[in-house]
Amino acid sequence: MNSNLGKRQRAFSTLILGALISASLVSVAADENITPAAQEKKSAAKPVETTPPAQTRRPREKSFPKIPTGKWTGPRLADGQPDVSGFWSNTIGNHGNLTDPQGGVIGEARRTPLGPREQRAPSRVSDPADGQFPFQPWALAKVKEFQIGFHNPTYPGHVEPNARCAPGGVPKSLYWHGYDVLQYPDYVVFVFDNGSRIIHLDENKPHLPEKLKLWNGDSRGHWEGNTLVVDVKNHNGKALFGRSGEFISENGTIQEKYIFANDGTRYNYEGTFTDPTVYTRPFTITIPAIKYTRAEETDGWNLEARWAKHAGKTQILEHDERICHENNGGFGLGSAQK
Amino acid sequence: MNTLRFNTLQRYRPTRFKKVGSALLLLIAVFTFSLVTPSADAHDNTKIPRLANGKPDFSGIWQTTSAADYDLEPHSNRKDAPPGPGIVEGGEIPYLPKALAQRKKNFENRATDDPALKGYTLGVPRAVYYPEPFQIFQRARDLTVIPQFGHSVRTIHTNNTEHPEDPNDWWLGDSRAKWEGDTLVVDAKHFNDKTWLDRSGNFHSDALQVVERWKFIDPNTIEYKATLTDEQVFSKPWNISVILHRHREKNFQLIEDYRYTLDYDQYYPPKPDQK
Repeated sequence: MNSNLGKRQRAFSTLILGALISASLVSVAADENITPAAQEKKSAAKPVETTPPAQTRRPREKSFPKIPTGKWTGPRLADGQPDVSGFWSNTIGNHGNLTDPQGGVIGEARRTPLGPREQRAPSRVSDPADGQFPFQPWALAKVKEFQIGFHNPTYPGHVEPNARCAPGGVPKSLYWHGYDVLQYPDYVVFVFDNGSRIIHLDENKPHLPEKLKLWNGDSRGHWEGNTLVVDVKNHNGKALFGRSGEFISENGTIQEKYIFANDGTRYNYEGTFTDPTVYTRPFTITIPAIKYTRAEETDGWNLEARWAKHAGKTQILEHDERICHENNGGFGLGSAQK
Repeated sequence: MNTLRFNTLQRYRPTRFKKVGSALLLLIAVFTFSLVTPSADAHDNTKIPRLANGKPDFSGIWQTTSAADYDLEPHSNRKDAPPGPGIVEGGEIPYLPKALAQRKKNFENRATDDPALKGYTLGVPRAVYYPEPFQIFQRARDLTVIPQFGHSVRTIHTNNTEHPEDPNDWWLGDSRAKWEGDTLVVDAKHFNDKTWLDRSGNFHSDALQVVERWKFIDPNTIEYKATLTDEQVFSKPWNISVILHRHREKNFQLIEDYRYTLDYDQYYPPKPDQK
């Protein structure tokens, strides 16, 4: 039995159920809560020798430091890139709610009432200053419709595409499960739980023809000191930003900055989205992330890794293969047909 | 930074002309050069790209031109496949009798049952000869193989690590490799039984083990060989071999092909004129 796959499958069936069950059922951030129990089952069913049992998940941050752009003083790879390779994950919440990341899914009943807004992490929208998406009226209407349809879908587009294991796209892939950052001469590669994203560091390489639209877009980047600067085009806009339904159209472009702290422990993503089809002005999404370096922090969400088995003395962290769509059964399509 | 890999190749171009000082010497040099040129060129072609640690560097975008994925075994043309001589050493896959019955059933139902049609992970070795490009990213510690098709990412470990003690049945198995000279020898096992070996229904069980041998023939061509062992399905180990060509088109890149989204992607994102 593939316990890891089973765990993911449970997570996804819960995710879909969360979408289908009405708000009368109390369910708080189902995908975040399912996993510890699943982890216990995994441990009970098959003792893991090389990887210690899951520890308590790191608490979500309510605030995070600003990281200034500037010089890189940390270690570099042979080709000169700042060495930021490794396993990363977002620190304040998942894809449940963009403007109130710790406020739960919009329209979902809560076990305990929310406290004052300032006690929770800020909106992912860091510009405009009010933390709201500057939607055109038609787009705002669609988002509000989605937020109702999410709990009781009456149209296939009410199912959040991630529930069907669609790629998370930009920027959602950075606040879903943890991910791996790999670096090579000419490339930075992100490996997500459902797909990968290749950032070409050769900026003389032109973007793909405009007609091609991709879930993860087409990325060209370069390093400026501690900052990976990426230009994203060819984005198909299909992934949506999360369960709160925000989106860009296929006409949108994204200017990204991945600003790394010089101690290598964290980075802040600042993505500026420009899309005159959907928005009245450009806006910026900020996503703080931390690096995971120890198998003991495997928690079924931010990190699913093990210490490699080998004769040497150094500890080597490895990640299991990432599979999603294959285990998603007919859940996504089933709900789409309702 | 961008031309590191090409420098490795260019370094070996003859530079003899630069050092010649007189006309006589030049003439001799030209004469000599013309004599040695053929072998010098052949020599250049054997200069394969290497990592800083001296190991062959398979980084690049690769693809087979063979018809292997249509059917690993020799086959005449049919409505859904071009003809092909197959890539199985000795011609036929040595199925056990009961497995052969399953293979025939798979063949009959191939238009609906091929897991690739659902956009599933292709598995090993199928992802190597599937007729879409794949990219290898390589470091000293591992090779990361990203097929254009689907969403899977395969890691081949080259850091003296071993298969894990608590393996799952993975779609891509678990790949541990070592170098035998300039040949990368990969031991892949701990597979599930859900992938096919081609679109004609050749298959395996979760007892599959694949030993692969990756070797440069020249800087732009890899010879890929694999031995497949599966005592639940095959009566003995059997071998396949394909040639992989480097994509050298200007600005060639992978274009994501998450085709399992095609049934529903029309519903996203919301549009102004949508009801």
